Amino acid sequence: MMFRVNGEQRSWYEGMTVADLLGDMGDSQHYAVVRINDKHVSRPYFEKTLIPDNSEVFLIPLIAGG
Amino acid sequence: MIMEYKMDTIKTFYYDRPIIEKGYANQTLSIDISVPDISVKPVDEKMKDVFIGGKGFDLWLLWHSVKSTTHWTDPDNAICIASGPMGGTPLYPGSGKSIVTTISPLTGSVIDSNVGGYFGPYLKFSGFDALEVKGKTEKDIVILIDGVDEKVEILETSGLPDDSYDLSAILTEHFAQGKPRHISVVSTGPGAKNTRMGCLNFTWYDLKRKRARYKQAGRGGIGSVFADKRIKAIVARWDTVKADTNNPANGNALKAVGRKHAKEIVKLDPKQNEMATIGTTHLVTIMNDFDLLPTHNFQYGKHPEAVNIGQEVYRPIFDAGYDGCWMGCTVACSHGVKDFVPLTGPYKGTKVFVDGPEYETIAGCGSNLGIFDPHTIIEMNFYCDAYGLDTISVGTSIAFAMECFEMGLIDETHTRGINLSFGNRLAALEMVHQMAEGDGFGLIVGQGVRQMKSILARDYKADPHIMQDIGMEAKGLEFSEYMTKESLAQQGGYGLALKGPQHDEAWLIFLDMVHNFMPTFEQKAEALHWFPMFRTWFGLCGLCKLPWNDIVPEDNKDTPEPAKVMKHVEWYAEYYTAVTGKKTTPDEIIRMSEGVYNFQRIFNLKMGFGQRDHDDIPYRAVGPVKPVEYESRRERYDKELVEKHHVDITGMDTEEKNRLLRKFREALYEELKDAVYKRRGWTANGIPTLETVRRLGIDFPDVLELLKAHGIE
Ligand code: SF4
Repeated sequence: MMFRVNGEQRSWYEGMTVADLLGDMGDSQHYAVVRINDKHVSRPYFEKTLIPDNSEVFLIPLIAGG
Repeated sequence: MIMEYKMDTIKTFYYDRPIIEKGYANQTLSIDISVPDISVKPVDEKMKDVFIGGKGFDLWLLWHSVKSTTHWTDPDNAICIASGPMGGTPLYPGSGKSIVTTISPLTGSVIDSNVGGYFGPYLKFSGFDALEVKGKTEKDIVILIDGVDEKVEILETSGLPDDSYDLSAILTEHFAQGKPRHISVVSTGPGAKNTRMGCLNFTWYDLKRKRARYKQAGRGGIGSVFADKRIKAIVARWDTVKADTNNPANGNALKAVGRKHAKEIVKLDPKQNEMATIGTTHLVTIMNDFDLLPTHNFQYGKHPEAVNIGQEVYRPIFDAGYDGCWMGCTVACSHGVKDFVPLTGPYKGTKVFVDGPEYETIAGCGSNLGIFDPHTIIEMNFYCDAYGLDTISVGTSIAFAMECFEMGLIDETHTRGINLSFGNRLAALEMVHQMAEGDGFGLIVGQGVRQMKSILARDYKADPHIMQDIGMEAKGLEFSEYMTKESLAQQGGYGLALKGPQHDEAWLIFLDMVHNFMPTFEQKAEALHWFPMFRTWFGLCGLCKLPWNDIVPEDNKDTPEPAKVMKHVEWYAEYYTAVTGKKTTPDEIIRMSEGVYNFQRIFNLKMGFGQRDHDDIPYRAVGPVKPVEYESRRERYDKELVEKHHVDITGMDTEEKNRLLRKFREALYEELKDAVYKRRGWTANGIPTLETVRRLGIDFPDVLELLKAHGIE
């Protein structure tokens, strides 16, 4: 019942969404995109996307790139 | 490869190669191919202080080469290529860029394009901070800059292939003397000759795959100038590059800061954008999710099929391995596709290696054309490179033609039987082949959006007003592939860019739209000052911008201004100091760029542009042109009218609402111009003031005279 965020272990709970995760971390402002394993998820889908158990989550800083 | 070709030396110039001192060769190379004549010009301290190197040196050489009346085909027009003081450092990621400038066939003014590959560093190590080539010839020539044997040669050639792909491979082998990694070739292809959107291919040698790989100086038709001069190729030859080849002022300090940055990238890239594996392809689906991926000529920002051309599809297609376009770049994002078999054109049915695609090509030659097939995009990418065509201008121009076709402004009698509907993959490929051959409707498309608008109005009586609204060019250059409708700051990022709408000056969409970090005009204007200035600096120094903000420190978000990635800016200041020995700071970096940036604005003025009206953009970039575009985002636009502009929209139809929205949005863009001009130290007409040019040390007598002629004294 664990998953990893940027390489660090966190405990997982059933029904956890990306929005929940960022809320728990107090970090919702800065991330518009996260990657769950190989899949990118953007902010419009944060509330709908569930984080699977055992997954690897990366918070993508995409600010003034391009 | 068996090929009958001839190369005869017609001019040889021997020179004593200078020792590189603190990143500079302290001289430039000047070639007039009409005479032919080869000479060397000194670089003095003032030139280094004001223009730094790279684009700065290019502009200074070009300024003296051209008159205000010079047309892109005139012999006076020069192609200038430079590295920069940090260029050629293998210890610091992204330190091998070249920057190319010329008078553009698309804009009639100065264009600059930055590009990877080994040429810039090899040119400098051979003894030249910059190269200018002017004149024109009757016969095809190759120029060789040989830093090992300390000679420059002009060779007359015949029998060499036209396309860049074969040509570079043959020339690499021809000049390598068994060491292909010591060669970098700059060339273009037949598309450059027959269009205004020719690109230049710069090679780097891939040791593992044993082949020349390609990066493109794409924007603005520099390849077309090259082809018009009848230059087949410019080749640089240099020896092994070592840590001290660039002879930095403080090697230990350089090593320390370079290692820090390189290591951070290796650690964080896999956790962030995975540039080393998938390049910039991740942007496709991200842009789509935020309604920012151009589809159908920038009408819409998303499409249900976008996932078919995103990173999950390209990841397994890319050939795995190290893909750094300069030695030691740990970002290594220049991926390619092995054993690709085109279905059309001269390489139909044969296996080729394709360099790319990157995000811009996928969006330009894919979604914006309504094409969501990854392999068609690879084929478009391949032929554009081989033919020497800029994928961005090609994509945006075909997209415009397709919309004109779908709107009935043109029909099959004009396209010679080709159904140019969105999504027609074969028609898009056929356009590219026709551009290369200078034949059929492709000949018209290859002139670019601005010319196309006049040709279609003049010859086919297409409505010029609607074409003005939907033709995605500004200053004559085609838009690169981001939707700007909902981000005023990005409208400025494109519209107020010196060379035309390319995102390399400022990419502020996320900052503005997604994060809402700059709600006021002043904040937008500040961003439209700082970002273009900082980004300009990479082009002065011979650097790639990607390591700055595509991979960011883990604690970056907790800094006061995360978008600037100040920790990296400070590293860059240390890097500059370590190489040149001139102590610098982040603020000083901005000032260095300001000098060159303002000089380029004044250069535009010299060429008859560079004023407020020239910063206009088509309405498609500002808001919805057609009712169906309004409808596609009705909720957003209705809300804007009601909440922001306090309009009572009850009973209004879409057309009426759209007219009103347009009025408001156009006014906002004008207001933005005012704020940005003020921040940049320009007049309300967009011209640098006397105070600005004096402060920046660019108050040369001819600059002052030019300003005076425009009422500024
Ligand atoms: S980041 Fe990519 S484009 Fe920039 S120098 Fe490295 S490999 Fe080349």
